[in-house]
Order: sequence, then structure tokens, then C-alpha cells
Amino acid sequence: MRHLRVITPVCLAAAAIAVALSQLSCEKKSDGLSRVVVIGMDGLDPRLCERLMDQGALPHLAALRDKGGYKPLGTTTPPQSPVAWASFITGANPGVHGIFDFIHRDPSKQYAPYYAAAETVDGEGGWAVGEHEIPITLWPFQHTPTQTLLRRHGTPFWDYLDEAGVPTWFYDIPANYPPSPSKHGHLCCLSGMGVPDLLGSYGTYQLFSEDTYVEKRDEGGLRKPLIFKDDRAGGVLTGPKNTSLVKPVDTHVGFDIYRHPTEQTARIEVQGKTIVLKAGEWSDWCKVSFTMKMPSFLPSVHVSGICRFYLQEVRPNFRLYVTPLNIDPSDPGDQRITEPAAFVGKLSDALGLFYTTGFQEDHKALSAGTFVDEEYREQADYVLSERLELLDYAIENYDDGLLFFYFSSTDLQAHMFWWDGDEPHPTRSRQSAAKCHGTIEALYKRMDDIVGDVLERFGDDATILVMSDHGFCNFRRQFSLNAWLRNNGYIHPPECESLLLDRTNPVDWSRTQAYGLGINGLYLNLKGRERDGSVDPAQRDRVLDELTEKLLAVRDPVSGEPVVARVDRADRIYSGPSASVAPDLIVGYHRGYRASWATALGDMSEEEMTDNDSAWSADHCVAAELVPGVIFSNRPVLRASPSLIDLAPTILQEFGVEPPETMVGGSLFETEAVTTRD
Amino acid sequence: MDVVDSLLIFGGDAVRWVCAALATLFGSVWGGLDALLNPLLSPLLAVLNPVCTAIGDVTYAIVRTLPVWVGLTLLSVLAGIAMLVIFRYMSNQTGITRAKDQISANLLAIKLYRDELRVMFRSQWGVLCGVAKLQRYVLTPVLIMLLPMMLGLAQMGMRHQWRPLQPGERTLMKVRFDAEHAVAGQIKLEPSPGLHVEVGPVPGGGELVWRIRGNEPGRHTLRFRVDGTVVEKELVVGDSFERVSAVRPGAAWASQLLHPGESRLPAGSPVASIEILYPAVDSWVYGADYWVLYFFVVSMASALLLKPLFRVTF
Repeated sequence: MRHLRVITPVCLAAAAIAVALSQLSCEKKSDGLSRVVVIGMDGLDPRLCERLMDQGALPHLAALRDKGGYKPLGTTTPPQSPVAWASFITGANPGVHGIFDFIHRDPSKQYAPYYAAAETVDGEGGWAVGEHEIPITLWPFQHTPTQTLLRRHGTPFWDYLDEAGVPTWFYDIPANYPPSPSKHGHLCCLSGMGVPDLLGSYGTYQLFSEDTYVEKRDEGGLRKPLIFKDDRAGGVLTGPKNTSLVKPVDTHVGFDIYRHPTEQTARIEVQGKTIVLKAGEWSDWCKVSFTMKMPSFLPSVHVSGICRFYLQEVRPNFRLYVTPLNIDPSDPGDQRITEPAAFVGKLSDALGLFYTTGFQEDHKALSAGTFVDEEYREQADYVLSERLELLDYAIENYDDGLLFFYFSSTDLQAHMFWWDGDEPHPTRSRQSAAKCHGTIEALYKRMDDIVGDVLERFGDDATILVMSDHGFCNFRRQFSLNAWLRNNGYIHPPECESLLLDRTNPVDWSRTQAYGLGINGLYLNLKGRERDGSVDPAQRDRVLDELTEKLLAVRDPVSGEPVVARVDRADRIYSGPSASVAPDLIVGYHRGYRASWATALGDMSEEEMTDNDSAWSADHCVAAELVPGVIFSNRPVLRASPSLIDLAPTILQEFGVEPPETMVGGSLFETEAVTTRD
Repeated sequence: MDVVDSLLIFGGDAVRWVCAALATLFGSVWGGLDALLNPLLSPLLAVLNPVCTAIGDVTYAIVRTLPVWVGLTLLSVLAGIAMLVIFRYMSNQTGITRAKDQISANLLAIKLYRDELRVMFRSQWGVLCGVAKLQRYVLTPVLIMLLPMMLGLAQMGMRHQWRPLQPGERTLMKVRFDAEHAVAGQIKLEPSPGLHVEVGPVPGGGELVWRIRGNEPGRHTLRFRVDGTVVEKELVVGDSFERVSAVRPGAAWASQLLHPGESRLPAGSPVASIEILYPAVDSWVYGADYWVLYFFVVSMASALLLKPLFRVTF
């Protein structure tokens, strides 16, 4: 008993020290290791970089090129960000990591689409009390709460560094939500693309305005009516669903708006906080707490989110935009967005509140007409300025090991403002398109300055890699793959307008041979694989060959240009344990073309080819060889045709870690002859 | 299981109802007490606050030469000593010693006569009585110390809870009006070198709100012209350790007690209060809210440590 009295406090003290040490694992420390800094600039395009470097507009990148440290970087098939970043992370083809498109489907449910990189799985069990069902995770109940699971397979390269004791820092790493755990405590990671907002979506803004008469959901946002009486109105923010209810319902937070009777100013009162804005101004981040009501004998649960208010107009039509509700980095609750979990708290302590959703630039607001160009540009600039503060923090707290930092600006601004060349834009005038492209050029110059700053800070003390996952091109015309399949007799009945939603002429799966899903994927409705499969496996090759031949022959009826540049068979380009869930064909479009918006989720227009009249006027989901990314380094890139899957082995070798067999690429700093492995 | 669930839900509902009823009751009692005390305490505080602020200014003029946490520690230790001295002379030390002896004796009896139920119950009753006596003896000095302690804490709060607005830093300023006065559309804030008005005032909800930015460092007087009268409010801009008055209070004594830095607004003024949302002091030791905890821990610890030196029993 006496021993117990001594042992207990000692154990407690040891546990406390262990916890404290684990909390400190993200502190900078020096072990005299190599330093590798990777700056990921999503969508940085080699053609534009080369043009601007030749003009002398990107001096720092040009200096790297002059030293032999530049090459276009081969991307993945298809060249979509989740696919490409997953290949960067695993150093392997999609057959290993299992992400083939933004959208996948569950064949056992016959066309049930879901986001490829993560999936929310409903909980199992729960204590049913009245209208509530409360999951109790403790023994003996051990109910499973609803949770989001990372669907990226394969081993991320940082696991090998973690095992070797190399400290690694990742900021905004895409395709890693929820963050994969660290086994040895040398990983610090903030998840990026893939992190949802508090509503569980990939960015749902809320717009309150006088000219909205009925609450409705549009492309990426909720529109809500406001009625002023004596210059006062009340609004209600929609929050996350209360999942403790048997039938979950949205939570809400009310707020008051007072507008000046004559001036373009207004005041917002939300949960005891006051925000005063002029028309055209953004607020700082504002914390909002949503209450999840529990049965009366249990305390309510509070979920904290953050948002910014943007007062678009006071008169004549009051309009107030609210950003998607981001997970509060200072109080993330059950939402885990960093590894270790406490890392996000350290970031918040140092930087305050910041965007935590994967898609930070609100492109949906521009696409839906909620923003005009200038408003989107301002919001995207704010995102970049916030990221630069994070980069400063990242560099200040980095000593050695690997530092990875990701910028989304080059991708999400390019999608909206890129229009390269003289071909007519479907919606903008030539001058307006040129002005928008000027925004992208200015952004590239800013990114060049960032590279210059990083080079100056590290000099030759670190291996610096600046890379992108793909390039960019115009998106002028959209191809409705499912309409084409229907018109060519692969989808039945011919009157069907949607694979999911057409109740009048629902799809007849017994006669449907193939369907499109996602942006580049085409699936056969194969017997034995799909729930209602119709194509005999013996006919598989014949149908695939037939489809390939017909797709390559598709011509734009307006210009006569070919639409599809290449069609790849998944079983020939992918290998690995996840290859069996890949689409059967990957459709690679020519520059200027892409699958239509309707195709991604199974809808089909009447016409096969239409103009892309969306503000999202540039893309990269074409044939992979048409939109390579870039690799810049402060060391000569010797590999003749480097590609994304070479990054992981390069980084491992920089730290003296032998790449595993699943990584088929080699070091960028060696020629193929040296690094080719059997 | 349904019965258990129903009982739990019923129990939960009942507890919530009782809590709500207690809150209402407490609110009513407080409201009554407030109405009763206000005619007495409001003029008293109007006299005491300037005196206390002057003492606070002198005290902090001495300790501000030290690092802030050292100054706070020193003041906490001094407060602990002051509490000891007050306790020494204002409490019945003999009575306290006797009550503590009574408690000790009864505890001993409980330990010795475990098997004697009658003795056990009698001793437990004796302990209870001893504790009650002790509380009675302690109550007098605590009540005597309450007002000076509150006044002292309010003075410390003006230094440790908020900090001056830095030049260029943004915040809000609110002017609240009495319920019977509609928001005065004619209110005018005279220009001051201490601030730059960014937006406002925006009326609504019985108040006017400005978004301001700190400008020239210094202690400035803001002048509001409202309904033919002039109302003033102090604004402090700078990055040094200064006394900051966040609110110029009205006639409510509680508000006067918490915000003693400026005189209460004149009776009959349409303005009920003027508030500047100064930034909170950011420190785990002497920053907003934590300083109170630090103060109590240090003052209590010093009182306990120095108790034998002052021959105080409690």
C-alpha cells in the first residue's frame, strides 16, 4: 500500500511529462539534419511561367531555371488535384492510393456518388432517449459516432521520415483529411484541400438580402430573406446539424442588423459581439457558437465556428454575405484538422483565427453571381495574405527536416480569371478577359516574390523545391459525356435526363452499358460488379474499344475540332491494390474542352456540346500531357522527364531514407539511368 | 428502459425549471436590493471613487517602475498583509481560538468514541456549532474588508483588465441612452486628436456605435454634444502601462463600483453610459481575468505564510 502511494504520483508525474513532451513535439528543434523545403503551388502552369520568365517578370524563378533547376513536371491521369496530390503523397500511381477523380461511386448501390478522398460514415448504435440518440463510446456501450474517414490508401512518404526520426511539417497539405496519424511523433500537419466547413460541405456561404423572398439553396450557398422594420432586421445563420437527434436538424444562431437610416453603414450584433461595417467592407473573423440540444438531463453541447461578414450593399438592396462557417482553429472540438490534434491550437495561439476549410477562395460565390470579379479578387487576396502569415510562422518555427507549404491561390484564382490567348471567351469581352488574365500574371509575380523570399531566407542551406500538381488551360466548351452516351445508345431510355434525379424517365440499368461520373471517369455497367450490371464481362474489351474509338472521333459541331485527345484504359495505366475501383476509361480532353458540369454527378443536357458560361472559365481536367505542372529547385534537375511521383523518392533520398518498392519514381537530382529500379 | 428514460427526462426538466425559477427569484431580489442600495451607494461611490483613483495613481506611480508582474505580486502581498492586520484587530481572536478548540475537541471525540452513537452525534453537532461560531467571528472582518477590497480590485482592474488603444488600432465606442430617450439623432462627437472615426455612428437598439482607430498617444477627452449638453469621456491611446477607464458609468452603483475611473454621468443626462471597447491585456499572469486569480492566490498565500508573524488566528 505504501508502495502504491509512492508509485501513483510517480506514474502521474511521468504521464504528465509524457503529455507535455507530446505537446512539444511540434516545437522546432535542431538535430543537424538536412533541410528540404517544398512549396506547393497548385496549378502553377509551365507555359505561363516560361512566358513570364522570358519577359523578365519572374526573376527568382528564372534564376532557378538558369541554374538548371526547372522542368515541366509530369502529372497524373487524370490531372485533377486530389488525384495528383495523392500521388505526390504516396509517390505512386492512383492504383495504389485509390483516388481516381473528385467523385467516386459505390457499385454495390448502383451509382451512389461520394467525395473520393474522404467519406463520412454514419454512426452505429446509440442510446435512444426521447427524440435523441446519443452515441456512448465507453464500454460496455461502445457506440460508433458518425465520423469522417480518409479514403486515400497507400503509405504517405512522411511515414518513412517519421520512422527515421526526421521532423516534418506540412501546412495545408491536400488530400489528407482527416490527417493521417503519426506513429513516432515527428509529424506536424495541418490538413488542407478536403477539410469541410462546419456544415460538412466544401464551402457553403450564406447570403442575407432584401431581394430574396424565399430561403433557397443555390450553387454553393444559402440565400435568405431579410425584412427591415425601422432599419432593423433579424437574420439566422444556419449551423451544423444536431446529430444527437434521431432525425438531425440544423442548428441556428440569430443575429440583429441595424442599418443607418441614411448612410451606407450597418451594425451586426451576434452573440454579444458588435460588428460595424461600411458597404464594401469585410469584418474580422467572428466566433459563433452553435448549441446542440441534448436531453434535458444532460448539458447541451456547443460547436464553435468562425465566419467573416461582408457588407455588400446597404441601399437600395441590403445584402450581407457570410463566409462558409469554418472550423474554429482555437476550439475545433471533435473536428480534427491537424496531427497532432493540439497543433491547431498552437497555430491559433500564434496567428489568431484563420481559414480552415479546404477550399478557402469562395469560387462558388463568383460562379453563382453573389460576388463580382472584384469582390472575389479581394476575398482571394485576403486568403493569400493569411497564408503568407502562416508561411512566416512555418519558417520561423522550422529548423531542419522537411517543411511543406501549400498555396491554393494559383489554382482557385486561375479557375476564375485565367483566359489565355486570343480565342473568344464565352461570356467576357476580350478586354475583360485580358484584364482578368492580368490578375493571374500579377499573382504569378507575387508567387515569384515569395519564392525569392524563401530563397533568401535559406540560401543554399536547404534543398528548395517549388512544384505544382498540374498546369492550366482555357475551358471554353463543355462536353456532356452522359448525353453523348445516351445519344449513342449506351444509356437507356433515350429520354432520360439524369442518372440520379430523373423520376419521369428513370435510367433503365438493365439496358445501360456505360455511364460517366466525375470529371474524367467513364464506367461500364458491368455484370457482377455493379448492382444492376448489364454488360457481360466477356464483352468488356469489345465495349471499351468501341467507346474509345467513338470518343476519339467526337468533333465539336461548331469548330469541327476534335474534343477528346486520348482515352486511357484504367487496367493498362493503373496498378496496385485499389486499381479495381477505378473508372474503366479515363477521358482526356483537348485544351479548351472538358466534361460538362452536369456530367460530374450524372446529369445530361439535351445537347452534347455547349459553351461553358460559368465564371469557372479555366480548368486542367484534360489529357495529362497537355497540362503538366512545374518543378523548380535551387539544385539542377537532372531527371529528363520528371513527374509527380518522383517527388516522394527525391525527398526520402535527401534524408538518406530508401524509398519503398511502391514508389516507382526516382530522384530529381539524378538521371533516369541512375535511379531506374526494377 | 422507457420508464428510466422518462424519469431522467422528467428529472432533467424539473432541474431546469428549478434553476430558471431560482434565476428569476435571484434577479428579483437583486433588483429590489439594487433599488434599495442605489440611493445610498451611488452618492457614496461618487465621493469615494475619485479618492481611490488618486490613491491608485500614486500607488501605481511607484510600482510602475517595476515589471508589471512584479508590481502585481508586490500589491498582492501587501493586500495579504493588510487583510491580516484588519483581521487581527477586527475579529474576535479569542472567540476564534475557542471555536477552533471546540471543533478540534469534538473531532477528537468522534475519533475516540466511534462506538458510542450518542457521543458521536453530540460531537458532530458540536463540530457544526463550532463551524457556525467560526463563521460568525470571521464574518465581521470580512464585511469590513469587503468595500475596501472591492474598491482596490476596481482600481487594479483599470490597469490589468484593459490596455490603452494603440495608435492605428481599431475598436468600437458605444453610447447608450436612457430608455425614455429615443436615440438622439443630433449627437455629435467633436474631433479629437486621439482618435480617427472610421465608421459611424450607427444607431439602433438604444445605442450609437462608432468604429474608431487610435491616433495620437495620450490621455484625451472626447466631447459629445447631445440635446444641448456636453458629455465627456476619457480615451487613452499609447503603448505604455496606463490606467484605462472602459466605461463612463451612469447612476447605477454596480457600474460605478466596477468603473471608478471617471465620474458618473450627470443625473438627467440622456446618456446612460459611454463605453470604449479597449483591448484586453494579454498575459497569463497579469492579463485580463487572470490577474484576479493571481492576486487572490498570492495574497492568500502571503496571508497564510505571514499568519504566525502577525499572531493571527483564522
